[in-house]
Amino acid sequence: MIHDVRDTPPNIGGASDPLVSFDRVSMIYGAETEQAVHALKDVDLHVDEGTFVSLIGPSGCGKSTLLRVLADLIVPSSGLVQVGGHPPEAARQSREIGFVFQDPALLEWRKILQNVALPLELQGISRAQREKEARRLISLVGLDGFENVRPSQLSGGMRQRAAIARALSTSPRVMLMDEPFGALDQITRDRMNMELVGIFETTGITVLFVTHSIREAVLLSDRVVVMSPRPGRIVRIFDVDLPRPRTLASRDSDAFAELVSLGTKELEEGYGDQIR
Amino acid sequence: MAKWLGVAARSIWPPLVTAVVVVATWEAVCRLFEVPAYMIPAPSRIWMAFITNPESLLFNAGVTLFEAVTGFLIGSILGAMLGTAFAYSRLLARGMMPYIIAANTIPVVAIAPIIILWFGHGVQSKIAVTAFLSFFPLALNMMKGLQSYDRVIMDVFHVSAANEWQRFFKMRLPNALPYVFVGLKLNVTFSVIGAIVAEFVQADKGLGFVIMTTYRTLNMPRLWAAMLLSALIGIMFFALIALIERWAIPWHSSMRNDE
Repeated sequence: MIHDVRDTPPNIGGASDPLVSFDRVSMIYGAETEQAVHALKDVDLHVDEGTFVSLIGPSGCGKSTLLRVLADLIVPSSGLVQVGGHPPEAARQSREIGFVFQDPALLEWRKILQNVALPLELQGISRAQREKEARRLISLVGLDGFENVRPSQLSGGMRQRAAIARALSTSPRVMLMDEPFGALDQITRDRMNMELVGIFETTGITVLFVTHSIREAVLLSDRVVVMSPRPGRIVRIFDVDLPRPRTLASRDSDAFAELVSLGTKELEEGYGDQIR
Repeated sequence: MAKWLGVAARSIWPPLVTAVVVVATWEAVCRLFEVPAYMIPAPSRIWMAFITNPESLLFNAGVTLFEAVTGFLIGSILGAMLGTAFAYSRLLARGMMPYIIAANTIPVVAIAPIIILWFGHGVQSKIAVTAFLSFFPLALNMMKGLQSYDRVIMDVFHVSAANEWQRFFKMRLPNALPYVFVGLKLNVTFSVIGAIVAEFVQADKGLGFVIMTTYRTLNMPRLWAAMLLSALIGIMFFALIALIERWAIPWHSSMRNDE
């Protein structure tokens, strides 16, 4: 159940070509200065299509950087990154990537329907077609009836649902989520977790999910990647073999508790370095 | 639409009451203390000055309004273009901004004679002065507005493979609109000032011309009528822009009613 990256190949999943691959990826900010920050150092990570992978670790471990590299928001200092066999730039241009940020980042001047349809509009899809798809996704994330409401009139959780629907609109192959529920209260967060699990289990989309919560990571994921800072690197990857479909009751099993305490132990080692 | 009108109707009576009280007090004080008309003419005297020859005053008000609106449009369009260029080129902004700000501090009465010399005695020189004045507020606000977008939203556009035009028209420009209206409202005030000051310097029509000639003949009630008309032009022009703002950016927090 546990792969130690130091002695096993990092190809988690195995068989066919992975959908997402990072090979010896390093990211150094301010390389020429004295305060050069090694955000990522020689990261290897392969993710198969249809898996839900969580990235967890203390601040500065490079988990967000990993997502930003994959989405072509930043270019790594070295190493090879591929999505479906293409570099991130090409994957982005062919709209294979959906990104949900911690901030819903909706356009205040657009109603929810037009916000969700935005990526399709940018792609040049006709109004009728994009609005039909947006309505379907609004329904999928449980926002029926809010199509013609402006973002400022919605709660934080509802805004984040709209952001998820927007990220799904171009039918991406990979969904990147950077602490999407970090700003939500516990009950809302539980509900959002269950909706996300439902979407994942019905669509079979590949998800890379950054979180600070080990419980959230275990509840949602097939695999959990534990990272450590200075330099940002992967210290441990473990499988979560809890049965699907997952429900909030999945948290009550002994297996869940075991995985959480395992993950917590790994995480604490990462934090330990920091404190010393 | 109906909702705005309702709001407008409800917000109109407090200033209306103020106006009635002020005018009544003013009239009473003028009559009671027999204030000479050349110092402060009573409202009734000003009204008489207006209705004895309304065509002349209205014609001159029309000239000033035309100059103000045309200059406002030209200045605003040029200002918006320069502001956009500044927002996209930090080098250009850094190189030109100190001079733009310096030019903005030149008193309009100092620059108006020069502009009139360049553009001649007609209406076009008044429009030029007005355009000069209503250029800077929008240039600065346009730049600020276009630069103040949300970085995460920019990331969303990047991940969605948006091109530069889409980023401008679907994100940066709508995001800049609240700033644009701040600039436009400043320009409204400046454009009326610009037109009248330019008419002071040299003109044969317009409210500024009326004010100058009535001052020389000490026809104070008519001067006051012209002054009040110039204020009325400014208020109506401002109200028009505010109405357009309400229509254009109903989503902005400044547009939410307190009820």
